[in-house]
Amino acid sequence: MSVTEQGLLQRDKDTMTLNMGPQHPSTHGVFRVILEMDGEVVKTAEPEIGYLHTGIEKTSENKRYVHVIPMTDRLDYLNPPGNNLAFCLSTEKLLGVEIPDRGNALRVIMCELSRIASHLVWLGTHALDIGAMTVFLYCWREREMILDLNEEISGVRMMTSYIRIGGVAKDATRPWLDGIRDFIEYLPAKVDEYERLLTNNPIWIDRTQGVGAFTREEAINWSFSGPALRASGVNWDIRKSQPYSGYEKYDFDVPIQTNGDIYDRYRVRVEEMRQSRSIIKQALESLPDGPYKAEDNKVSLPPRETLHTSMEALIHHFKLVSEGISVPKGETYVPIEGARGEVGFYIVSDGTNVPARVKLRAPSFMAIPGMCKMMEGCYIADVVGIIGSIDIVMGEVDR
Amino acid sequence: MTSEEIVEKIKASLSDAIQDTDLPQGDAVIFVAPESFHAVAEFLKNDPDLKFDYLSDVRGVDYLLEEREPRFESVYQLYSIDHQHSIRVRVGIDEDNPSVSTVSDLWKGALYPEQELFDMFGINVEGHPTMERLIMPKDWEGFPLRKDYPLTTETVAFSHNRDFKSELVQSKPKTR
Amino acid sequence: MGLIDQAVDAFEAEVNNLKLNVKDAVEAMDYEYSGSLYDTVLTTKLGKVVGWAQKNALWPATFGLACCAIEMMAMANSRWDAARFGAEVFRASPRQADLMIVSGRVSQKMAPILKQIYDQMPEPKWVISMGACASCGGVFNNYSIVQGVDRVVPVDVYVPGCPPGPEALLYGVIKLQEKIMMEAGTDKAKKRVA
Repeated sequence: MSVTEQGLLQRDKDTMTLNMGPQHPSTHGVFRVILEMDGEVVKTAEPEIGYLHTGIEKTSENKRYVHVIPMTDRLDYLNPPGNNLAFCLSTEKLLGVEIPDRGNALRVIMCELSRIASHLVWLGTHALDIGAMTVFLYCWREREMILDLNEEISGVRMMTSYIRIGGVAKDATRPWLDGIRDFIEYLPAKVDEYERLLTNNPIWIDRTQGVGAFTREEAINWSFSGPALRASGVNWDIRKSQPYSGYEKYDFDVPIQTNGDIYDRYRVRVEEMRQSRSIIKQALESLPDGPYKAEDNKVSLPPRETLHTSMEALIHHFKLVSEGISVPKGETYVPIEGARGEVGFYIVSDGTNVPARVKLRAPSFMAIPGMCKMMEGCYIADVVGIIGSIDIVMGEVDR
Repeated sequence: MTSEEIVEKIKASLSDAIQDTDLPQGDAVIFVAPESFHAVAEFLKNDPDLKFDYLSDVRGVDYLLEEREPRFESVYQLYSIDHQHSIRVRVGIDEDNPSVSTVSDLWKGALYPEQELFDMFGINVEGHPTMERLIMPKDWEGFPLRKDYPLTTETVAFSHNRDFKSELVQSKPKTR
Repeated sequence: MGLIDQAVDAFEAEVNNLKLNVKDAVEAMDYEYSGSLYDTVLTTKLGKVVGWAQKNALWPATFGLACCAIEMMAMANSRWDAARFGAEVFRASPRQADLMIVSGRVSQKMAPILKQIYDQMPEPKWVISMGACASCGGVFNNYSIVQGVDRVVPVDVYVPGCPPGPEALLYGVIKLQEKIMMEAGTDKAKKRVA
């Protein structure tokens, strides 16, 4: 009797289950997908998250507002100033504090530099997954320049915590501004180099065009945001629709594509790098003089020189460092356009110096069900490309 | 439409389903009971002047320390891509048998955040296809983001309380 | 009667201790004198050569968990070239790796998987705990983070930082290489393989 007749090959389903486990080399973090496959074609993709759950939201309920800022750095760890800015904007809305123009300009410069750095990581790892290893090494070379600028201004390469409640942590220094000027002169040639390597490359086009396409209605219904939404044809950028930190003063375009496949998301992000560079240039040229943080000493620390002479300054410094800021009772949400999409913190305050609830709206978290819907009907080699093009970061998914 | 106009229009059309409205710092906020929430959500999505077709987020809040009724709240942030306005819907949920109806039939983006509501707060979302643990391990007990769940910090070992950690050190795997 | 019981218990405990001590001593002697090649005078010299080969070709398994993984990738890139030290080939499969760099915070859900990957690595294997979260739980002292990955796997080198810069991680790899050279040809190296 053959093996099948003997009943040794019992098949209760036609598909093969393949576990793309939490440890896999596509370095997008600890993300697990359980693929049901019919040969090479994926029938369903079931995601499993939670392998990086850090309990940041619960820990934030026991820390003062300024202590939550370094924790927010570690959420979306590729765009730390964006998280800082989102948290500070929500807190400042509850406090009713106005940020001076110089502070806003410095915040914009920091956020756009971080957006470029995040897109460089995305491009490097996404290209590496699909097979282009040269781009990985080139992108990190530019990223090292941005990390050197971070270290110059804040002392830390990645988790800068530079953006604080009331403004920024310290004023811009001459070497930092010169370094940024050199960097934005150097960058356009490099972005052209990446495009020369990939955009008209027949291998790249074959692997990315037509794969993982999402229509406009699907993208809106599945709550995509950021470049994934704009690649599907939706003209939605929070810097234009709900401007913050003085973005209405800068002149920049929002790149939109129509098909919503991997290739379009790649085009959108590369163009965003160019637009970010243009925003930084405008912010540098029009950098206003003045204070870099709010003068209200109940919110931001007084200048160190005044501690020697002014009694109120000393008392304010003491209260701010020991007790922290007391935020009036209420709840609010201010979204910003992060590198991955809409980032925002929903903060509920009960009037004390410790927040009652801090909830991050993570663009990667909202994109995961849609991303797995996109995988249905693709080949297994496309799954890696899709995960890379949505650009998930597990730090903000699991929080 | 501005926030005041949105709130006025909703109050005019659905006066009995809306418990309260608020305009904190210029945002439009409405308070809804869980029983009438799904009807309100359908109205918000389908009405041509409002047309809230984009769900940004679903959050849960536990107001145990403020001692107010109802204890839980689930908050929905909605945008309209065409009209470029936004609204926040706050649904108060009671402590015994907390449950709210799902909106994942209207906005597919609600699937994951509502599952997280169950995982972190224990709020049962009726009509949701998968009411399972999402972020915590499958066999975890307790709902971490509730205020009565402890943070579970561990005493850190210093030189003055080294004995406290001696059993821990002995139970660690030996370096070969 | 109670006193006699106590005396009998104490005597039994002493005899057991003696048995264990003898067992330990015999095992130690076994290590010293077991294996044909290790019996000869060339033991330490050959061991040193083996250690030199091992340290110059450490193949890390990709175990990037969180923010530290980005700095680990930066270490592998052109500015802080890890290839000069032999640690360039990041193997995806743990079966082909001999160094596990735990980079990032380990949550309760991830800890069994960490142990599983560690178990799948063949002997000899080393572990570098990169960053504050892997070494001691870092900033996160709460219900969901394992307070130090050394509660799950034995660690050889701890690299502090949040995240440690690539130069710090490279220094950790160099220190691990020194540790391998120091242990080479001695009992400790033999215990790793046995």
